[in-house]
Amino acid sequence: MKVLRLKRLALIIVLASAWLTSGAMAASAGNGQVLRVSLQAPAGALKMGDTPNFLGAVTNLGPQPAQGLVVYLSLVSLAPGNEHPVDLEDWSAQKAVRLDRLNPGATDFRNWGMRLIAAGKYGVALTVVDPREPRPIVSDLVPFEIQPKATLVAGRVLPVAIGEPLLVVLLWGGMVFYNSRCYHKQKPEGLG
Amino acid sequence: MNPGLILVKREFQEDFKASRGAVFLVITTLVLSAFAVLLVSNTELSLLDNAQAVYMMAGIIIALAALVAVIRGSDGFAGERDRQTLEPLLLAPINGPGLAAAKLCGILFFWLTLFILAIPYLWAVGSTGQNLFAAILYLFLAGTLIVLVFGGAALALSARMKTFKGVLSLGLTMLLLWGSPVLLGPSLRQSAVGRLLDLANPFAAALNTLDSVIIDSQGLSWQLLRLAVMVSYAVIILWWLYAATRRLEP
Repeated sequence: MKVLRLKRLALIIVLASAWLTSGAMAASAGNGQVLRVSLQAPAGALKMGDTPNFLGAVTNLGPQPAQGLVVYLSLVSLAPGNEHPVDLEDWSAQKAVRLDRLNPGATDFRNWGMRLIAAGKYGVALTVVDPREPRPIVSDLVPFEIQPKATLVAGRVLPVAIGEPLLVVLLWGGMVFYNSRCYHKQKPEGLG
Repeated sequence: MNPGLILVKREFQEDFKASRGAVFLVITTLVLSAFAVLLVSNTELSLLDNAQAVYMMAGIIIALAALVAVIRGSDGFAGERDRQTLEPLLLAPINGPGLAAAKLCGILFFWLTLFILAIPYLWAVGSTGQNLFAAILYLFLAGTLIVLVFGGAALALSARMKTFKGVLSLGLTMLLLWGSPVLLGPSLRQSAVGRLLDLANPFAAALNTLDSVIIDSQGLSWQLLRLAVMVSYAVIILWWLYAATRRLEP
């Protein structure tokens, strides 16, 4: 009798744990993901040389703390016919961060600064890799356009480019002229 | 006056009073002007980020400095030998390493002049951008070490070889060899062999330092290894120059 009770108890425990596990998975699958990631573009027009901040947010929707999350930024050029990923080496000082711990319900807000190097149409997305999850979670692609701007101004470059060689020639000519005059003055009379 | 100082003064006079030195200065400013005009006249290049333009300009200045150092170094002893003026120079109360030091001072002084002439160009292309001051500082550091390496090596060869043409050919080949990995572009230099070549190459170390400081805004700690590579080369070359000039032959 006692053995039967124990067997029933064990069965109940197994069924309960199976139900709990399936329930959690359903909750996770029902929401789509345990983590939610979003990225927001800065307001206003962007032009070359600007350093705007894209606001990223990672929220833990699950019941457990998320640990060891890797969050990174991806930039793609959306120029028609020339779409390609962009190496962030010169664009962003912070390409990726690691979040040690994100508690249930907590959100990590972070500014992703970027230096806009070249004009054109681009898209940027934030990706979160949770070591416990088989798939990374990616935010919506945020499209933006960078207006061209001539960073090298002819009004500043040309005076230097034209003036400096002339100045060197004039200085050298002046020095040669001065030296030749000094030489003639020092030369004794009658020697021609 | 100290004979060493007299020789340094003579080198200085050759740079500023003789036509040869002045022609060098005019040519270098013309090269920098041509490059600056190219940057503003080309639509694509004029859209470059200021830091990128400063880096390109700094690279041209380093290359010019290395080229002039090789030419001046080649002329140092072999040119005097060709002009048959080395023998009277050897009669001066100064030993071979002292002569070499005076010649090297002349080359360094030319580099200093080139550096001062280059500052307005760097300002013109980069004053509205980032890291201009750091660019000028590191250009001076890297440029001085590169001039010591290439000028010192050309002088050492010049002390051992008989003709100016021979030393110049060898010096320019040496410069081309050191510069060739840089011409390969960043993608080929990403491989293990490419990185090793980059690390062992003082010219690449100088350009990578400028890239790191100007474009990537990285601090001194990132530059220590590259600076150490350049300093090591400079020390080895100076030792070689000392050994090569201990017994100078007319």
